[in-house]
Amino acid sequence: MQAHKQRDSLSLPVIILLFVLPLAAVFVSLFFGRYHLSFSEVVFSLIRPDTVSAASRVTVLQLRLPRAVAAAFVGASLAVSGAAFQSVFRNPLVNSGILGVSNGAGFGACLAIVFFGGGVYTYIFSFVFAVAAVLLSYFAGRISRVTTSITMILGGVIVGAFFSALVSIMKYVADPYSQLPSITFWFMGSFASVNYSHFYALIPMGLGLLLVFLSRWKLNVLSMGEREAASLGVDVRKAQIMIIGGATLCTAAAVCISGTIGWVGLVIPHIGRMITGNSNQKLIPVSISLGAGFMVIMDLLSRTLTGSEIPIGILCALIGTPFFVYLLKKTKGGFRA
Amino acid sequence: MILNIDNLSFSYDKTPVLSGVSLTAGKGEIVCLLGPNGSGKTTLLDCVLGFHRSYKGNISVCGKDILPLSRSELAKLVSYVPQFHTPTFPYTVREIVLMGRTSQSGLLGAPGKDDYEICDSAISRIGIEDFAQRPYTGLSGGERKLVLLARALAQQAPLIVLDEPTSSLDFKNELLFLEIITDLVRNDGITVLMATHALQHPLYFESEGVACQAVMLCKDKEIRKGKPGELITPETLLEGYGVRAAVCEIKGEEGKTVRTVAVLGSDF
Repeated sequence: MQAHKQRDSLSLPVIILLFVLPLAAVFVSLFFGRYHLSFSEVVFSLIRPDTVSAASRVTVLQLRLPRAVAAAFVGASLAVSGAAFQSVFRNPLVNSGILGVSNGAGFGACLAIVFFGGGVYTYIFSFVFAVAAVLLSYFAGRISRVTTSITMILGGVIVGAFFSALVSIMKYVADPYSQLPSITFWFMGSFASVNYSHFYALIPMGLGLLLVFLSRWKLNVLSMGEREAASLGVDVRKAQIMIIGGATLCTAAAVCISGTIGWVGLVIPHIGRMITGNSNQKLIPVSISLGAGFMVIMDLLSRTLTGSEIPIGILCALIGTPFFVYLLKKTKGGFRA
Repeated sequence: MILNIDNLSFSYDKTPVLSGVSLTAGKGEIVCLLGPNGSGKTTLLDCVLGFHRSYKGNISVCGKDILPLSRSELAKLVSYVPQFHTPTFPYTVREIVLMGRTSQSGLLGAPGKDDYEICDSAISRIGIEDFAQRPYTGLSGGERKLVLLARALAQQAPLIVLDEPTSSLDFKNELLFLEIITDLVRNDGITVLMATHALQHPLYFESEGVACQAVMLCKDKEIRKGKPGELITPETLLEGYGVRAAVCEIKGEEGKTVRTVAVLGSDF
């Protein structure tokens, strides 16, 4: 009965493991790629950059490292926002795109590609429209001065459909030889063009992750439903705004640098639940670590498996779904006890 | 006084549901709200829980007007066991009970060591240690109700609000639940406000010697208040529910007198 008296928090070895997993994934991913580098070249690029050739230095520090770090943040962001939305909306089938984020971002990206020639505008527009989509969903779901989680989901569905129609219009008017392929590739998701100039997107992601991480205990209470959460002493509106705001910053910034990678936000939280149980107290840190590690490895595979890159959105679904089925069978659900 | 409701009126849009309801409850007292469906029992509870804020009149708990209180301040005064609870994620029983400590931490806070201790003592107070580590989604309706009661207890509020607490419980679990409530009221000095359809509940509490008032809410009629044995009479049942019934007295164990209601016929 000793365990009974303890606090339900992660033990020290587990916490260390959670830190090590994404760092190790980033480190490992520096060693592989189309441009062959020896073990020592990679290590020396990191510790004594002046001793290796410019080509190796650039490959490791300017190409592989920023890409892996960005992938880690995106993975963590998508996983955490998925977990947060699942609890806030009390629905295990919800993912990070539930409030129209992906479609909003997609429309922003299309706008930028068609009218402004893509480039940096793609990132700015997709971020702005992703956030706008969530705000619209929130206000579309507002009925007689209150937004309940059900009407907010409804708002998200409506706004998502609206933006998806706008995306179709943009595809229709886009130049089929240059712009349409860019749009299509954007929707498949990729880290191929990521460099340090995109690291501005890590600020909203970091902020969003922090907000959700700090309110992770309240997520448990919110998942009891709005009435019960209120009776337990939560200011539901404030907590929702904080959590949904944080999760939105995460997804919008993630989607704006990587394009849509839809599947991670649904499944990583469930894999986390199978490992650590349902309390968000533990689930949120675990999701950060798993999401980050998973995304880095997926990106590594996407750029090394074949001669040309496989879009990471496709790869995540192809590799992740069978893995999820395997876990589901092995843990007998874990989710519905 | 723990609970003081003074001249409370509430209407949904234009439909009045409660008009001029006054009642008080002291420490260690049970107030049973009776009355037919739609008579406003749940509405009254919702007003006390701060879910309806557009009422007229005054509600105060422990001498504090509840309207200006924040959610967490109110949660320190009033805890709640809902009638229906839809489980979502299979949290363990202990995780659920721990949620009773929410009001003690701020917007970003998480429960500390003391909260875990209070949570564990609530679990043992209700006697659910055996399944404390099990996922509560796998429990029976009766067990789940006890978990929610433990959660309310962990809130350490002087007033517990119960909405039809035994409506989904079997014969035995209903009694078990009533016994625990009796124990909490008698020994911990908790005050209980409960809505119930079961007329034997107030009669049971009275025969157990716990301070209990019955309040009969009826549409368009004055509310009636009184000791259960005096309030629950054939006349009031006919007036309140339109049911012709007899109230019988039976000699119980240890010389107790047990009252029960037998239905004779209807008047509608």
